[in-house]
This record gives sequence, C-alpha cells and structure tokens, in this order.
Amino acid sequence: MSVIKLTGGRVIDPANGVNDQVRDIYVRDGRIVAAPDVHEKVSAEYNIAGRIVMSGAIDMHSHIGGGKVNIAREMLPEDHRGDPVERTELTRSSCGHAAPGTLAAGYRYAEMGYTAAFEPALLPMNARQAHMEMGDTPMLDTGGYAMLGSDDLLLRMLVANEDQQTINDYVAWTLNATQTVGIKVVNPGAISAFKFNQRKLDLDEQNAYYGVTPRRIIQALSRAVHELGVPKPLHVHASNLGVPGNVDTTLGTMDAAEGLPIHLTHIQFHSYGTEGERRFSSAASRIAEAINRQKNVTADVGQILFGQTVTASGDNMVQYRNADHGSPKKSVIMDIECDAGCGVVPFRYKDQNFVNALQWAIGLEIFLMVDDPWRIFLTTDHPNGAPFTTYPHLIKLLTDRSFRNAMLDTINPDARAMSALGSLDREYSLYEIAIMTRAAPAKLIGLADRGHLAPGAAADIVVYREDADRERMFEKPELVFKDGELVVRDGRIVKVVRGNTHVVKPEFDIGIEKKIRPYFERFHSVRMSNFKIGDDELCECGGGSKLIAHACRKRG
Amino acid sequence: MTNEATPTVVAEVACPLCGHACDDLGVDTAGAALAVVANGCERARQGFARLGVISPAATPRIDGRQASLDEACAEAARILAASAQPVFGGMALDVGGARGAMELADAAGGVIDHMNNEFGWRASRVVQDGGGINTTLAEVKNRADLIVLVGTDAVSAQPRFFERCVWVQETMFDLQPASRRIVYLGAGLDTAPGHSPDGRAPDVFEFDLNRMPEALSLLNALLARQPVAGEAPLGIALARWQELAEALRAAKYSVIVWAAPAFELSQVDLNVSAIVGIVRKLNTTTRCNSLPLAGNDGDLSMGAVHIWQTGFPMRTSYASGTPQFDPVHNGIDRLLATGEADALVWISSLNDRVAPPACGVPTVVIAPPSQQLDAEPRVFIPVATPGMHHSGHFVRTDKVVTLPLRALRASSLPAAGQVAAMIAARLGEVKA
Repeated sequence: MSVIKLTGGRVIDPANGVNDQVRDIYVRDGRIVAAPDVHEKVSAEYNIAGRIVMSGAIDMHSHIGGGKVNIAREMLPEDHRGDPVERTELTRSSCGHAAPGTLAAGYRYAEMGYTAAFEPALLPMNARQAHMEMGDTPMLDTGGYAMLGSDDLLLRMLVANEDQQTINDYVAWTLNATQTVGIKVVNPGAISAFKFNQRKLDLDEQNAYYGVTPRRIIQALSRAVHELGVPKPLHVHASNLGVPGNVDTTLGTMDAAEGLPIHLTHIQFHSYGTEGERRFSSAASRIAEAINRQKNVTADVGQILFGQTVTASGDNMVQYRNADHGSPKKSVIMDIECDAGCGVVPFRYKDQNFVNALQWAIGLEIFLMVDDPWRIFLTTDHPNGAPFTTYPHLIKLLTDRSFRNAMLDTINPDARAMSALGSLDREYSLYEIAIMTRAAPAKLIGLADRGHLAPGAAADIVVYREDADRERMFEKPELVFKDGELVVRDGRIVKVVRGNTHVVKPEFDIGIEKKIRPYFERFHSVRMSNFKIGDDELCECGGGSKLIAHACRKRG
Repeated sequence: MTNEATPTVVAEVACPLCGHACDDLGVDTAGAALAVVANGCERARQGFARLGVISPAATPRIDGRQASLDEACAEAARILAASAQPVFGGMALDVGGARGAMELADAAGGVIDHMNNEFGWRASRVVQDGGGINTTLAEVKNRADLIVLVGTDAVSAQPRFFERCVWVQETMFDLQPASRRIVYLGAGLDTAPGHSPDGRAPDVFEFDLNRMPEALSLLNALLARQPVAGEAPLGIALARWQELAEALRAAKYSVIVWAAPAFELSQVDLNVSAIVGIVRKLNTTTRCNSLPLAGNDGDLSMGAVHIWQTGFPMRTSYASGTPQFDPVHNGIDRLLATGEADALVWISSLNDRVAPPACGVPTVVIAPPSQQLDAEPRVFIPVATPGMHHSGHFVRTDKVVTLPLRALRASSLPAAGQVAAMIAARLGEVKA
C-alpha cells in the first residue's frame, strides 16, 4: 500500500490541541495514519518545512445548490460575464462571481483550501435538485440542512397539539427522506404567513391561519433535533431579518430554545438597534454578550463585504419587502409547494452607504466581541453578504488590526462614528482561524473524521506558505489534499475529484408514514414514495458521490 | 382506477412525457409495450407504449450501415473534432442525459439549444430583465381561488392540469375546490376542462391571441387605476375587464397561468413582462402569483443542468474555451441557416416525433430507435428512454420538484448521457 508523507510542516490542529508544532503527517488510503508499517514504503514525500498545515476548511453555511441558487444564476448573466473559468485539460469551463456555476464553485473553493461546504437551506421538496447541484460541484464534500417550520404539515401538527415524540418522528423522517445533515428554520412560520398575505411576523405573533407563533416552532424543532441526537443544533434564520431594532427578536429567539442547543445563522443581519438620527445602530455588543453568556448558543456571522452580490433566501416575506432595494432592480419571489418559499434579490453593498457601512462594521464587531472561537463561525452567508471568494480578505480583516482600521477609515464617516470597531484591538490568531474554519464546524455538524489531523481523520489537508499578508496566504494554498489525493498545487487544480455527501439518519418510528402518506396523497402534488430519496438514488444524484452517515445519539 | 402494485404493474410511476410530470401512474410491464393502466393521459399512454418497447434489433448506424456502438462513437468524435462550430439540438433529455450532453458540448466547443428554446429563452430574458413572482403546483392545488389562464388552456401542454391541480377533492384550507373561478384570456382555447364539477362555466374573454399584449396592457392599466379608452376593448365590454380587475384585487390567492409557446413568438417577452407587471401590482395588497407552464420534452431538465453547471442558460457557446452566452446569436437554427455551424448533434431520448432539421452538415443523431428522421444521418445511435428503461431525474414545470424516473424494464441500449460521455472520451483521444 502506498503512503504519502508530509514532512516537517508546522501543524495547527485545534481539535487535538496542536498549535504550530512541527510534525510529520502520514496518509494511507485517504486517511491520516500515525506512521507507516515497517514494511511500507513512502511513495510520495512532500517536504513542507516551514509551511503551515491545517485540515481542509469547512464552510458550514453557503448557498451552493438548489432552486433559488439556480434562479440567481439564471437571473444574472451580467454577474458571470466578467468572471469566466476556462476549460483546461483537467477542468470544465464555467463562470460566475456571486452566483457561480457549480463547476466554478467547486474549483474555486478547492483552490482556497476548502474541502467541504454545506447548503443551509435545502427545501425538502427541492432536495433532489439541491443534491444534484451539489453532486455537480467537484472537489467538495457537501451536505444540506433541510428547511422546516413553514411547511404546512408541521404547522398542522402543532395546531393539532401532536406530542413531541410525533414531531420528533416527522423531523427524523424528513432528515432521512431528504438525505440531510441538519434542520434549518427560516423566519419561523413566516414563509407560510406570507402566503396568507401577512407581511411581518414577530417572535410571539400568530400566523393568521394557524395561530402558531415563531417561538412555538423554534421550541418544537430545537427540542426535536436535540432529542433525536442530531449533532448539528437547529439552524435558525431568525424573524425580522434586516429590520432596525431586531436585536430584541434575536435575543428572544435564543431564549426560545429554552437552554437547548441553537445556532443563529447570519447573525449580523439580526443585530440591529434603533439608536441615532437614522434609527439604525449596532447592537453587536448585546448580541456578543448574550452569546458569551449562553453556552447553548452558536452563531455564524454572515459578514457583508462591499461590492456586487445577490441575496438568495428562503425568506420570501423579507425578500419581497426588500425587492425594491435590489441592485440591479430585479427579483424573483416564490411560494413553494406548501413546504417553503424563496426570494432572490441582487444587491450591491456600498462602503459610502451609511447602512451598508454599518452592517460591515457590525459583522466585524460580532467576530471580535464573541470570546469563544468555537461558537462563532466565519461565513458571509455566501452569496448574501458577499461571495465565498472574499474569505481570505475577511480573514485579513480579523487577523490584522491595522489593515482593519485602515479600511474603517475609508467607509461612510457617520457609520464609522457609530461603530465601536476602531476601539477593538483583538487580532485573531491562526489557531483561532483554524478553529473557526475547520475544527468548530466539524464539531458542530458532527463530522467525526473531518476538521482535524489526528490518525483516522480523512486526509483533507491544506498546506500554506506563511505570509504576513493573511489574505495572500489564504487565497492560494501551496498544496491541497482531498481524501489523500493531491488536488491543488499553488492555487491551481491538478486533479478533479468528487467529494462525499454527509448525512445523518436518526432513528424514528416508521409508523409516522401512516400520517404522512395520506397527507401527500390528499394535498401534495407528488406521492410520498417519490419524495423520499434512497441511498442509491442519492449517489446517482451526486453523480457517484459516496454517502457518509454520521452518528446520532438519541437523548429523548 | 386503482394504483396498486401487482407482480407486473408498477405503481406511483412518474411520467416524463410532459412538464407536469404526474407521478401517480400505474404501468403494466408484462406486454411488449409498457401499458399505462392507472391514471395518466392519452399522451402518457401513447408515449409509454411507443417509447417503452424493447428494440433488440436496433443498432447504431454509420451512413445507414450497421455499426458497433464503439465505431459509431468514434465516428461522432471524428465529426466533432473536424468541426469548427458544432451545435447540439433536440435535447429532450432527463438530468443524466443533460449532464452527458454538457460534458460533450464543452469538450467539443459547441452550443446547446433545446427544441423548445426559441420560446424558452425569450421567457428567460424576462427573468433576467425583471424577475417575477411565481408559485408551484401544490400551492395552486390548495390555495388558488382565482385562476386566469393567459393565452393557454393549460391542458394542450399539460393534459391533467385541471384534474390534478384545480378540480380536486379537497384543499388544505377553507377553500372549496369547486368554488374556484376560472378565467381564460384568448380565443380558440379548449375551455371545457374549465367547467367546475358543479357545472359552472368558466369566464372566457374571446379575442385574437395575437392581441394579447393589448389585453395585458389593459389589465395593467385598470389595476393601476389609469383611464382606459373605448367601451369595448378587444370587442369585450369594458365592464367585464373592470370586473376581472376587481376580482383579481379581491382574490386572496390568484394565479396567472401562462406558457411561452402559446404566445406569438415575437410577443413572448412582452406578454411575460406584462404578466409580471400585473402580479407585482396585485402583491402590493394581496397575493397573486404566476405559474409558467414549461418542462415539456425535458426543456427545464436540460435548462436547469446547463444553468447550474456553467451559470449561463442554453445558447452559450463553448467554442472559445470559456462560456459565452448570447441567446440571439447562438440560436442553433440561425447558426445552421447562416452556415456558421458545421456539424449537428441531435440528442433526444424523450421526444422521438420531432425530426432533426435537414441542414446539410454532418449530423449525429442520438435518439430512440423510433426517432423520426427526414434523412439518414451520418451517425445514428439508438438509446434507451429514461423513466422506462433506465432510472433518471426530471425537472417539473415549476422548477422546484424533480421527479425520480424509474427503470421499468431492462433495455440493451445505452442511455443518452452514457453515449455522450463515450463520445467525449473518444474526442479526447482524437484530439490528443
């Protein structure tokens, strides 16, 4: 058997407490091993003395596949024209900046040292398409969080006061049927409410038809996810996204989980106060304080960066409201299959615009004010805050205070005056960056064999040339290995591979199908048997992807 | 009819023969032809019977002479290698076929255009110009209280639209399905399916379909409370138009149904833009959505794969090594007519009735054995049919639901996507 050796690198592996220690790494059959057996020869050795070594980066929240992403692509030929990917001997042609084709997305993620990305808003009714798009995203491991909470079946179950066990069975059934790794709720209950012509829904406000509140939905789903033993906490896109003063809703949403694990996604968009002349202010300190205090809470930031992008969300209520702010001014809003919805609005964040500039500062404030890098995640909510290709720039903002302050000096002066950012001295270390982008996402999602470099781990390994300019360092790693194969050298693809699909398969009472099957036949447009995605079919959707199921430890 | 599985009947089969993709068919696999024995429509019955047969004698042909699959793929690769601008037409494919076609078209530096795309790209341009507000079949089934069919009767494109989405037994909410109001805009439509189960006739606004832009402008003006000239626009009393505008305002969840191929070609973008305008206006106070009918011949399956892999819709040229989207320049009928294209690859596993154009350039046809041909192509490669002989995936009219297609009986013929991939591999050898 052949063994690969990476010799003399400076290893940063926070999951195993390793901080910049010179170590050799051995790889056999796609896995990291402690050392070769005596009779084994090293077939390839890479001398990486002085280089920084981390496991492959994991984007725990990135809109990489599914109907709304494809709408964004279709809508924006102007986005793609300036950003082509050339066909080479190895790679196919593709294109796109904010809404890239799957091929472009896969190549570019890998070229930046990412080896996994998770689609956070996989609509159950659109699950096949999302898996097929992710299957056509080369280089990366993928997975999805299935969206529940505005689906009429769950709302009907809550109205009928079904017991928690039944809710748990439905949630587990959904995870199995859609082949996903977590559950997300988007503007809880509000996608449904919008279909009844409600235009806003606060945490304790009732859905006009069902009488169910967002708080009740969060309680039911966070408990279900917890009791089923799904590692990934409920992924919550809270109510009132983008609304000045929404900080109270966001803090209330944390409380709604009643101490159970809860993940608040793109929390920057939910950290707004109403102070100042323009009634728009940063509430980052209140949010960070709450996260620091409540250990059951995790969050990803959803940092905005200036420039053209597109916002693609399941939150049709909010996207409809924001459609007039779109640039260029066009939008697609959809109600979807008594299941969910979506809204796609192109957006250009401008550094001289007061609101945009303050949003930029708020995101960075949250990064810098949350103490524990294991509980705050580096995302731009790709592409909603900025395309994922901006991550190296974002890392530089976090690791380099003088660079950050120089940028701060250039933004809208009124926003600068209202932000505490200039007073924050913190600089993230490489160790903390490795936590945020590798160890913590793997731990959060429950990917036992990813995000670290101990023996047994999958050999997703990235080798960087250290560079004081962290943007330059992180945008072009020297070597990237995916499952033990060298796939990128000096920031260029040298081998195209297909990643794995990560799922969980929590146990449930199959008797729940006695409820679900007739519901599908009476009210849906497809049969339950054609909704469910089997293991073989998933692999076909993924063009041959390998399925990796992660353990759930039942707590109920 | 029941839809129970028996030793020879497969239940809950999804149908790839129109964009509605009904998935409640029972298909008997015992006979020589696949027989739809439960649910389905005439198109499904005929399609499963014709395309579902096994053709053990079908072999590839080169210039009409029998050839092996390998020889045929090699010849196709030689044609592509010698071509400066190959074009790919037909494209009535499932997702797997589309994936194979994309790989081949990229490698060959070609252009992909679907047989329905002369209409489709014009509708897509409206999405690129302004977007829209859309809904999907289950929402229509449960929520729609007023359905306005614009220039289409729906059933010509998707025969079971009323059966499956409109005149259903019950809805999830307070709405009685039989109480829905149905309105048709345009003459010459099959309005019989619009009669409610309790005998209410639909409201038909009869006028020349070519005057649809006027009708939609009128509705937009009335909804904007702008003055309108004339007592009887398009020969219909103004009061009826006004009442329709009021009904749309009063409806809780109206749905505007349209189909690009039902419009006069030069009016597609104009009409679709006007519909988007109506829907946007109504949503300021109530809910209204449009429902485009598409997906026939796998046009949305091919279209979706094209968009997700490269970012651009069809009519993108891969000739330069990077994708160049130009839907006006890259229509393949135009490229063939002007002599800019010098080879045609026609791939179609779901529609064997539309013949490839006789265009005088070397032609490769990858299609079912029953494919209609006006002339013998240079290379013909018979393929199996997704959803009958092999499994696959099919994107439905609303671009949300993808149905799994099943292998109902084995065929010795390859899938279209496999053939495309084989030719792509051969092309790599020829070029090397």
